[in-house]
Amino acid sequence: MTSNYTAMAVTLVIWIGLFLYLIVLDRKTKKLEEKK
Amino acid sequence: MTWVIVAAFIYPAPQQQIGDASRIFYFHVPQAWVAVLAFCFSLVGSINYLRKGTLVDDDRARVAAELGTLFCILATVTGSIFAKVTWHSFWNWDPRETSIFILLLIYGAYFALRSAIDGPEKRARLAAVYAIFAFVTVPFLIFVVPRVLPSLHPSDSIVNESGKITMSGATALIFFPSLAVFTALFVWIYTLGLRVSQRQRAITEEAMQ
Repeated sequence: MTSNYTAMAVTLVIWIGLFLYLIVLDRKTKKLEEKK
Repeated sequence: MTWVIVAAFIYPAPQQQIGDASRIFYFHVPQAWVAVLAFCFSLVGSINYLRKGTLVDDDRARVAAELGTLFCILATVTGSIFAKVTWHSFWNWDPRETSIFILLLIYGAYFALRSAIDGPEKRARLAAVYAIFAFVTVPFLIFVVPRVLPSLHPSDSIVNESGKITMSGATALIFFPSLAVFTALFVWIYTLGLRVSQRQRAITEEAMQ
């Protein structure tokens, strides 16, 4: 069961990292589009 | 997605025969589904490019093919981990494994073709024709070959031969939301990729004027 929690924690960290990266990218793209 | 991850690792009891490795199912199958969906988007973009000749449709086809390949690689990696635990080898040349390998080669060649051609219009036209032919193999490799040839993959883990859902309520409660969030994630990255491509194109056009 401990390995399940480890795998879950690693997957959550990857997911949150990807989610934050996409949000930042989304904002940067929006700013570029507004500059147009 | 957070719910899917937490629930997939904690909620359902481990499957009797393969234990905790069964939890990969909640990620592996949606990734494979998104790959097929993305290749379908690529086909539509390619057809639209050939009909209308607008480079935005070429961008649509390319971004979708990129994401399809990415999710195809993810499905291959998660499938290999599952294979190692269940069948004691990362790669068994099972019909599904062979099919996904051929699919990766086909779409790898798509990007090689794109990078080898100068001129956006010529590149878009040839890539669109190639993408249409590439997609013809997708239903054959994903749906036909694994069902015709004997496979290590279970054929009734989602629906049985009569089309009835075979999974338990607890499994379905995680699997279907997982399908939905992976699809939503694909749509989000796809639209983001398109917007970035359009900005890049606008910047290039401004620089050329």
